[in-house]
Amino acid sequence: MSETTFMGVERDKIDWKPTIDYTKCDYCMECVKFCPHKVFEVRESEVIKLIVRNANNCVVFCRACSKICGPDALSFPDKNATTQRIKEIRREESNG
Amino acid sequence: MVENFAILPCNGLDKCAGVISREIAIKLCENGKNEIICPVYYRVAETKYNKIAGEHALLVIDGCHNRCASKLAAEKKLKISRKITVTEEAKTHHIELKRNLRLLENEHALIESILNGLNNVDNTIVLTLEETNFVFEFVYETYQSGKFLFRIPKNQEVYFNENDCWAWVIGNRARIGVTDFVQQNLSDILYFTPPGIGAEIDQFGEAGEIESSKSVFELISPVSGKVISINETLIQKPELINENPYELGWVAEIELTDSESDKELLIGFDQYFEIMKKKVEELNG
Ligand code: SF4
Ligand code: SF4
Repeated sequence: MSETTFMGVERDKIDWKPTIDYTKCDYCMECVKFCPHKVFEVRESEVIKLIVRNANNCVVFCRACSKICGPDALSFPDKNATTQRIKEIRREESNG
Repeated sequence: MVENFAILPCNGLDKCAGVISREIAIKLCENGKNEIICPVYYRVAETKYNKIAGEHALLVIDGCHNRCASKLAAEKKLKISRKITVTEEAKTHHIELKRNLRLLENEHALIESILNGLNNVDNTIVLTLEETNFVFEFVYETYQSGKFLFRIPKNQEVYFNENDCWAWVIGNRARIGVTDFVQQNLSDILYFTPPGIGAEIDQFGEAGEIESSKSVFELISPVSGKVISINETLIQKPELINENPYELGWVAEIELTDSESDKELLIGFDQYFEIMKKKVEELNG
């Protein structure tokens, strides 16, 4: 349950994941080493060597990997907007 | 404004100044943000008023120089944050008090002046939970996985978010920290970066960082509000978080802005305990 929902809301409905700014990322792969949730995927032979593969594995409200990213290439959605959205969904679902 | 105060007035019924004290106390409580302590009932309802006094800053209103209200506060070992004496105030405002026990024009004018005076001063005395001597008595449920023991508080005042942080909510204050899950995962904690005192934090906003050789953990605040105190001991001894992240290892205290709305996205012990057990299993599996 905890892997597919957050606060009772389907994880799929919550937009929370890191976004990689490829103009800044230097493919040091620190974020990959750091995050235990297999959010990122390394693609050695591609031009774009790192992608966000499993967005839903990213822990809602976690921003930890952005702290260890030297070039500051990782960004996240607006926290307050996400909080509001989760509350809305919860209300809709308890009414419906 | 006078807000978040416990108000202990002289309640002298046989003196004009006493009647005025009582009236001021009532007026101050009309905003719904202060609590009155009845000096008479205090004699028999000790627990009730000790609790109120423990959760608020204390404003004492003495009628005259007999200082009955102050003496009662001293007797009950309460810490006084602000104090006024009605007869003194009358002098300052050049109003002569007579013997009448009903409030007339004169007295109402004095009451108005005193209230203005009280409300115009910056009363933002923010009493931390430490200063109120609040006692945190955590009751734990434990979960053992291999050599790791996880303690989770069962107290109903303690709330959690799914990001493994807890908040003990008392009135409009909360103490926050991380759970044993975080502490066990990080293993030996080497650094603690506290949130800034006075910082306004949103729910799920960052409230400090802890770091071990393994990883960094950003504390995700379960509640929204203003940081009024931090656990300074942790700066020198971050390992206290490993010892017990609820008691000596607490992180910060927050003056809450919207705890009812925060609670919509918080969970209690039952839910958190299940979620945490699952996370532990996943890590091991
Ligand atoms: S840590 Fe930052 S720079 Fe390094 S790979 Fe990840 S996103 Fe790119
Ligand atoms: S935010 Fe947290 S969970 Fe999400 S990818 Fe980064 S480290 Fe992993």
